[in-house]
Amino acid sequence: MLTFIGLGLHDERSITVEGRDALRAADRAFAEFYTSRLVGADLADLEDYHETTIEVRDRAGVEQDPEPILAAAESGDAAFLTAGDTMVSTTHTDLRLRAEDRGIDTRVIHGVTAQSAASSLTGLQNYRFGKAATLPFPYAHGGDGVPDSVIETIEANRERGLHTIVYLDIKVGTGPRGPDPDHEEYMTADRAAALLADDWADVLGVVVARAGSPDAVVAADRLSALADRSFGDPLHLLVIPGDLHHVEADALAGLADAPADLLS
Amino acid sequence: MGRRKKIVQECERLMDNPEHIRNIAIAAHVDHGKTTLSDNLLAGAGMISEDTAGEQLAMDTKEDEQERGITIDAANVSMTHEYDDTNHLINLIDTPGHVDFGGDVTRAMRAVDGALVVVDAVEGAMPQTETVLRQALREGVKPTLFINKVDRLISELQEGPQEMQERLLAVISDVNELIRGMAENMDDIPEDWTVSVEDGTVGFGSALYKWGVSMPSMQRTGMDFGDIIDLERADKREELHERTPLSDVVLDMVCEHFPNPVDAQPRRVPRIWRGDPDSELAESMQLVDEDGEVVFMVTDISMDPHAGEIATGRVFSGTLEKGQELYVSGTAGKNRLQSVGLFMGSEREEVERVPAGNIASVTGLRDAIAGSTVSSVEMTPFESIEHISEPVITKSVEAKNMDDLPKLIETLQQVAKEDPTIQIEINEDTGEHLISGQGELHLEVITQRIRDNQGIPVITGEPIVVYREQPQEESREVEGQSPNRHNKFYITVEPMDQEIVDAIQLGEVSMDMPELERREALQEAGMDKDTSQNVEDIHRTNILIDDTKGIQHLNETMELVLEGLQEALDDGPLAAEPVQGALFRLHDAKLHEDTIHRGPAQVIPAVRDAVHRALIDGEVRLLEPIQDVRIDVPSEHMGAASGEIQGRRGRVDDMYQEGDLMVVEGIAPVEEMIGFSSDIRSATEGRASWNTENAGFRVLADNLQREKIMEIRERKGMKLELPQSIDYI
Ligand SMILES: Nc1nc2c(ncn2[C@@H]2O[C@H](COP(=O)(O)OP(=O)(O)O)[C@@H](O)[C@H]2O)c(=O)[nH]1
Ligand SMILES: [Mg+2]
Repeated sequence: MLTFIGLGLHDERSITVEGRDALRAADRAFAEFYTSRLVGADLADLEDYHETTIEVRDRAGVEQDPEPILAAAESGDAAFLTAGDTMVSTTHTDLRLRAEDRGIDTRVIHGVTAQSAASSLTGLQNYRFGKAATLPFPYAHGGDGVPDSVIETIEANRERGLHTIVYLDIKVGTGPRGPDPDHEEYMTADRAAALLADDWADVLGVVVARAGSPDAVVAADRLSALADRSFGDPLHLLVIPGDLHHVEADALAGLADAPADLLS
Repeated sequence: MGRRKKIVQECERLMDNPEHIRNIAIAAHVDHGKTTLSDNLLAGAGMISEDTAGEQLAMDTKEDEQERGITIDAANVSMTHEYDDTNHLINLIDTPGHVDFGGDVTRAMRAVDGALVVVDAVEGAMPQTETVLRQALREGVKPTLFINKVDRLISELQEGPQEMQERLLAVISDVNELIRGMAENMDDIPEDWTVSVEDGTVGFGSALYKWGVSMPSMQRTGMDFGDIIDLERADKREELHERTPLSDVVLDMVCEHFPNPVDAQPRRVPRIWRGDPDSELAESMQLVDEDGEVVFMVTDISMDPHAGEIATGRVFSGTLEKGQELYVSGTAGKNRLQSVGLFMGSEREEVERVPAGNIASVTGLRDAIAGSTVSSVEMTPFESIEHISEPVITKSVEAKNMDDLPKLIETLQQVAKEDPTIQIEINEDTGEHLISGQGELHLEVITQRIRDNQGIPVITGEPIVVYREQPQEESREVEGQSPNRHNKFYITVEPMDQEIVDAIQLGEVSMDMPELERREALQEAGMDKDTSQNVEDIHRTNILIDDTKGIQHLNETMELVLEGLQEALDDGPLAAEPVQGALFRLHDAKLHEDTIHRGPAQVIPAVRDAVHRALIDGEVRLLEPIQDVRIDVPSEHMGAASGEIQGRRGRVDDMYQEGDLMVVEGIAPVEEMIGFSSDIRSATEGRASWNTENAGFRVLADNLQREKIMEIRERKGMKLELPQSIDYI
């Protein structure tokens, strides 16, 4: 059995009770932190809290060489952990299909993901979001500035009056010059706002920083103004709202200090 | 005032008068007498003493050149000559004749408008005569002919007037045949560029004994061939020199028949520069406008112990002056000119300014390499100077003492800057650097310079031959998958037509040129119209065609696709040698919605994988470099000489008599030619003269493929087993 368990948003305690039970019952536990990570807990915290050992796999150890994970799941109960939810914004469907192909039973235990934080903390209604996008570091997509597809996604959403979640790039274990075990870099919301402000200086943006933690921050302002602020430790994400329902406008004013002139 | 100083002043005066400037190169097959002739011209112009010309070899300025007696770098010199009652400024470049140094010749041609081709009367036109002529014509440089060593026809071979005339006419007709063949496709050449005695574009004489004749000189001096034969036979060479001095004959020919910059630049600029022809810059270059923006093309970089790095080249527009801040193509920021000068023999003279139309040598351009475009405004750089052949041989170089490590790296980088036909690969981890060049001699000379001039003791490895990989047939469509399996690329490969490969190699097709022009050039080389419209990349001599339609996100992923392609082509699937002559088609791609999941870590390996799979399905094979070999040898040694070719996996194609010698022609792999010079010497008791020329790459025999591939893999520390799919080798 291979159980995919979402660890949730912030620290070792963001997991669901069901997830916790499954993790503790597993014979072996694997985790990957290259797609996202828990900012409020490191590996030792997780292991202590759950009284278990967790084997961390890098990208190659999941994508190119999943054999140890599959073998463990074949002969016993294996858990596979990621921050957030294992199937949202990450690509682990592939691993699940490989397991199914080998006749291994699989199960998904959900975790709270940034996508739900983006609407619950900002008050922007989840019915009104369009396609999401990730804003990569310029060196990571082989071009300069913002990839066209990101611009197109935001533009298409805005045309239809929809909000866009912009996830921000995380580079752990790979740097500008390729694999580098010490590399750890997070795109911050101010940097992302600065990149997007090239096209949309006066457009409203909403920063969500450290969702799920006790000191989560939500801030709404012009992208050009957000670019000049600083939002502290990672992880951050950015929402570009589309047309605002009146309750959404009230929420942005009341919960995120949005300037009134941007809400009309 | 010293004589030299006076000449410098006169040169400075003449620099401003483009009509009276001639920029010329002397080019020839090795040993036909370029350097002796150049020295003579200098002596005639009063630059060195008459007595020592011919021995002093002022043009061979580097110690190793004087030792070997061959010219290795192109050297530059300016002189003045009075013709038609007007003083002319002649900027002269002596070029190397040994084929290993061919890159220098091509670069020298960029700086000049006329090429004086020297041919030995006894040997006649030789392989490198053809090579240098081709290099000249390709750059739009007009040829004239000087037939040298005529004294040997008279004194050594004892030929009478009739025999001599026949022989000389045969040389002229051979040279003209070459020119005609090459000029055929050049519609920008307005006139007939073949040479003739009647027009005065052919001179004869002896560079060693300093006499010469031409049709105009005969008319002027009244000396005809009969008189010359008499004097030469009577051993009255001194008198011959006084009555019909070589330098007058040659320099008159230079002034009369070579175009001045004002005539040459309007024709040459479109040939060597692809910028906007209607721009102000284009106009200023065509008019040789000394008040225009500065445009300076660097053709040579040399080191001077006092002045440091000296960049020599042609000023096409504007005026070079000390203190100018100039752009250097391919680099960011500007360099400041520290000094401006001219070359006088081995010495450089600083001057205030050098205006358009001249050859200048400057210091301060620290970012420039041979081939850089240097300008006062940002501009389209000149066409890259064409190299006839790529490096075929590599040697490792290691410093003997740890302390020399940084200095060695610096020196190697300098070497590559000076000579773009050299490639270096620095490996700071192992300290074992690689240096690749045109041949065994080329590398030997370079490493000797590092030893002697820089005083760095080095250990060099055995020379290693550079190989290539090429598919032999069209592949099926193969799939390459990204590690996360969310991205897939579908690719085929086919061997590319040789004509297109040639066009890429000659620089007639490149990604730097405007798209429309590139399409036309590709179609001219035989590519069909649809294909030519979808060219996405040219890497080495390989092309990627994008045959997909409307795939979302492919555009912004293309940069990574090309990175994967290029990686795969730099290190082919067999032995990580470069891939050549392959045409790839991208038929389809499946991409993840989000950029993060189709980033470099996903796309590059996927494409690399697809490219290698396609190559393997196209039965990729190892290619080795080969050389044309020509040996001139007395008939009693002919058997031994041809044996030296055949014993080296070579093939003898032709054997024929020429004069009193036999000529053996054939081909042999570069690898087997290592050590040839000492073997042929001992096989023929030192009686053979020989000549090799790189002749591209050829598929290695089937029975040697696996063994050679494994040998290379072992040397590179690669896995010693080939992918399963390579079952055809
Ligand atoms: N007899 C004779 N020998 C010459 C003449 N010109 C050059 N040589 C000799 O030919 C050899 C090669 O000359 P060099 O100028 O170095 O040729 P390069 O390789 O073309 O520069 C030298 O030994 C010269 O002395 C000539 O006109 N007559
Ligand atoms: Mg010479």
